[in-house]
Amino acid sequence: MVKIGLYLCECGPNIAEAINLDKIAEQIKKDNKVAGIEQHKLLCSEDGKKFLVESIKKNEFERIVIAACSPKQHETTFMEVMSSSDLNPYMFQLVNIREQCAWMTPDKEAATSKALRSIRAAINRVRHHDALQQKEIDCNPDVIVVGGGITGIEAALRTAQKNRKVYLIEEQKLGGRLREYGLLFPTMQPAQEFLNKKITEVKNTGQIRVFENSKVKEILGFFGNFVATIENKDREEIEVNAGSVILAIGANPFIPTGLAKYGYGTFDDVYTAAEFEKMTSSNNITTKSGNPPKSVAIIHCVGRKRLGYCSKVCCTNSMKIARYIKEKLNGVKVIQFYKNLCLPDKKYDEFYKKTKEKGIEFLRFSDIEVTKEANQMMLKYKQENDNEDALPVDMVVLSTGLIPNPKTEDFAQMLNIPVDEYGFFKEEHMKLGPISTITEGVFIAGCAQGPHSINDSMVQAGAAAGKILSSLVPGRRLQLETKTSYVSETMCIGCGVCVDICAYGALTIDESKRISVVNEVLCRGCGNCASACPSGAARHRHFTTKQITQEMIEILK
Amino acid sequence: MAKNRDILVIGAGLAGIEASLLSAQAGRKVYLIEQASYFGGAAIKSEEVCPNMECATCMLAPKQSDILENKNIELMTLSKVTNISGESGNFTVKIIKRARYVSLVDCIGCGACFEPCPVSMDNEFEENMSKQKAIYLACAGALPNVPAIDMEYCLRGKKQEECTACKEACMFDAIIYDDKDEEIEIRVGAIITATGFKLNDSKQFKQYGYGEFENVFNAFEFERLRASNGPTSGIIQSRDGKEPKSIGLIHCVGRDNRGYCSQVCCMYLTKFAHYALDILPGVKVYQFYKELSIPEKGNQKFYHEVKEKGVKSIRAKEIEIIKNGNGAGLKINYQNEKAEKESVDVDMVVLAPYVEPFPGTDELGKLLGIELGNFGFFKTAEFDSVSTIRPGIFVAGCAQGPKFMQHVTTQAQAAAARALNITED
Amino acid sequence: MANNFKPNIIGFLCNWCSYAAADLAGSSKLEVPATLTTIRVMCSSRVDPVHIISAYLQGADGVLIAGCHPGDCHYQTGNYYTRRRFALLHKIMETFKLDPERFRLSWISASEGKRFSEVTKEFAEHIEKLGPNPLKNKPFIE
Repeated sequence: MVKIGLYLCECGPNIAEAINLDKIAEQIKKDNKVAGIEQHKLLCSEDGKKFLVESIKKNEFERIVIAACSPKQHETTFMEVMSSSDLNPYMFQLVNIREQCAWMTPDKEAATSKALRSIRAAINRVRHHDALQQKEIDCNPDVIVVGGGITGIEAALRTAQKNRKVYLIEEQKLGGRLREYGLLFPTMQPAQEFLNKKITEVKNTGQIRVFENSKVKEILGFFGNFVATIENKDREEIEVNAGSVILAIGANPFIPTGLAKYGYGTFDDVYTAAEFEKMTSSNNITTKSGNPPKSVAIIHCVGRKRLGYCSKVCCTNSMKIARYIKEKLNGVKVIQFYKNLCLPDKKYDEFYKKTKEKGIEFLRFSDIEVTKEANQMMLKYKQENDNEDALPVDMVVLSTGLIPNPKTEDFAQMLNIPVDEYGFFKEEHMKLGPISTITEGVFIAGCAQGPHSINDSMVQAGAAAGKILSSLVPGRRLQLETKTSYVSETMCIGCGVCVDICAYGALTIDESKRISVVNEVLCRGCGNCASACPSGAARHRHFTTKQITQEMIEILK
Repeated sequence: MAKNRDILVIGAGLAGIEASLLSAQAGRKVYLIEQASYFGGAAIKSEEVCPNMECATCMLAPKQSDILENKNIELMTLSKVTNISGESGNFTVKIIKRARYVSLVDCIGCGACFEPCPVSMDNEFEENMSKQKAIYLACAGALPNVPAIDMEYCLRGKKQEECTACKEACMFDAIIYDDKDEEIEIRVGAIITATGFKLNDSKQFKQYGYGEFENVFNAFEFERLRASNGPTSGIIQSRDGKEPKSIGLIHCVGRDNRGYCSQVCCMYLTKFAHYALDILPGVKVYQFYKELSIPEKGNQKFYHEVKEKGVKSIRAKEIEIIKNGNGAGLKINYQNEKAEKESVDVDMVVLAPYVEPFPGTDELGKLLGIELGNFGFFKTAEFDSVSTIRPGIFVAGCAQGPKFMQHVTTQAQAAAARALNITED
Repeated sequence: MANNFKPNIIGFLCNWCSYAAADLAGSSKLEVPATLTTIRVMCSSRVDPVHIISAYLQGADGVLIAGCHPGDCHYQTGNYYTRRRFALLHKIMETFKLDPERFRLSWISASEGKRFSEVTKEFAEHIEKLGPNPLKNKPFIE
């Protein structure tokens, strides 16, 4: 018979005074299911741990049950004791008789019988434990960065290191949307100088291999071992290997063709902010008639209601444009039509103030329409106080939001990551994993995740680098989760129920065997598949149905 | 000289925790220092975070256990940097570890010492809305699960009395009355400072009546009222224990004077509206805003969902809060979007004061030899908001400026990348 | 009889939220009925309907599953599956001649120690009123 050792911790008076440990020891002895019972004042103390190791070795116990505090307090402590005692750390069960018994049960007799039930259950459970091993795999520290805009560039620069290569893949030329910029907000520095400096840095970094005019055809594999097929500018297919992928495919400006009231596509001289930005980078602001405009209106929040979100960057971008116009064209009148100013940074109110000081007007509206009377464009608008007015203007710039890159869906499918309700890549957790995805090793940065300023996009690129530098260290193997699921080959009928429900894409059907298999690199050990499996083939290590029911049966005796 | 690969993280809130975990995961030794007796920062004060209304404790607790269990991370609470010398790759840092008077090794966190302590004092973590003993845990569930003694209030410290109540109650010999502050010296290759923020004490803006009228709360006070582990176990009530029938939420408190938008207030006030409507049937909620700033995907939807539940959103100027009659009730006078004077009567007002740097940021900035910006936050480079002017020293989180939690996380991750990178051989 | 009846209730708690809440209830010294014994699982979605049915067949007077609030799941979507399985099982229970009231699903977050205490007290009282599980000690289901 397997030799199980039971240790009762008094936790000073905490357990000893609330639970009759002698009675428990007596009862367990009567049950005759353990090879030995020991009691100690405080098992988590240095003295206690030493006692445990010596006692376990001396008694040659093979499996251990410790009745003490919550696993949240000392499970790790005691698992280390197991290792020090030359036992597999999983051949152990901790019974929480402090937080979830002694401290919540004022009646000593009731607490004692509850503790006894729990301890018996643990003894019954531990005999079904398996000796789980920590698994490791080889991994590749290299990085694939998809998208060569400022986010992709920054991601490449931040991940490239002596022992880490980066493949930076861009469909057109490096630089992305920033190539069409005149000035940068809030520094008002020339965008192209800034960008070119970054591109030079990329080219001078030996560890970055740039693929321009290239497409990602396919990415296979998983965290630590991805293989990407790239179609380069000569239409040759090239394969590269990497341990992680950063998706920095950016976003597109919303085109307001469907919103008739803004006159976009109907009247000349109505531009989106992105189109206007292109004109600024060529340094030539004229109306269709060839003359510089005498008045320009910038309308904020165009399409916001339809998109369902505030794009965060448009208010500030509008101010940047306004200042550019004011500086370029002598005597021009610039008016901003806005609803709510979104200036979410410590520096932005100051920029706004300065913009006003430069003579740029701000007018809050509740409704607006771009019309044309005779040959003059007219803005008809309504204010929040319900006053209506009209204003002739020569040019209208529509500050539209950002929408997802149409390629988002393709990459989402390729890498098994969801998109959110707006069509951007969905992050693993909005607050804690904003650049992570549910597919381990695949990161999202910049506007591919949602509208962001250049600065925030670059921070996100740096964040993706942080995740990669910390998890894929050159020369180190990747340690995997131990309490993963597995599928019994003989029991599996290949129905695929588990494949559909796994949130992490850890389960796939092995087509040759027609059964489901678990990728232990991706499995995070929730056990959902084991509950869903109709044939009992999917099993959750350390939480097998046998282990759980044996624990339960004893409680219910 | 070989580079030191170890990393110092100052401040153990969300940013410091994230930066430490990543650095340690890369195999580096991390010193994580925290001035308070507990760690987790401002994030653990919230009941839920918007727009997804996730439980903040549930989010942070696994990360906190990872910190406590990680052998590469040395967490030092009640600690402060006192001196820094050297340069990127080789910093020497002096740290003062203030006496806790309770042994982190011997204490098992049973709490037997609280009851016998004769001192009753305001609980700072609970925004002084509840009492604690001189030997205390910041809140239920605070980590590390080891109390500290506030010697300023302890009878032994204050009156030099020979009180030994807690020592007698402790069965683990964990109370150390002669515990001393300890100065240690460590060597690290890079430093990440993540010292966070505080809310401005809005007493200076007299028109809002904070500090004058008892039912004008600030945001953290309201947050703790709703917290299930807070002073009222999550029940929203006015100071006299009554359930408010109407609540006014005031945006942008002090923004114009201060000169920036604190980014997060519009959303957390919307969350407060959600809290109130969720648990107070029939409550009337008014939001008074100047500019509505609800960036980030998901936020606009949340705002409209909450508004549709019956929040009255008012664009208002010249807000003034006065006493309504003789009771504890309040009246909010304001000018609406049509420039008309209006007012509403409410039982409770919650202010969203501007976010400012955590006290001591300037002092730390001097020690670190890094500049502060206009508003006292750490100054970072343009388009590189984790780098300071001093190589090897990086900034993460709200110590750089007010921001949403997701941006705190990304900055921490980005700062970790930089710290790891420069300390590579 | 009802006075002496001490039910035997199983509580499946997810590791990340509800187990932590139960710990918090304990460390805040809040009372939780001793008739409830908990089983820790990593995610509430690990609770297989088979476990529940076998719990009742083994004589459990009540079963509680507690997990993270919807949207808060540590594993993205696990608790949504729990919710669906719970709804289905609820229906099946009637065919076993078991009162579905003996089965409870609650969302209890890590900071809700007080709520854990309240939910379990209320559930235990309810089970006491319902009396013993009629399937207990019956070798066959009629």
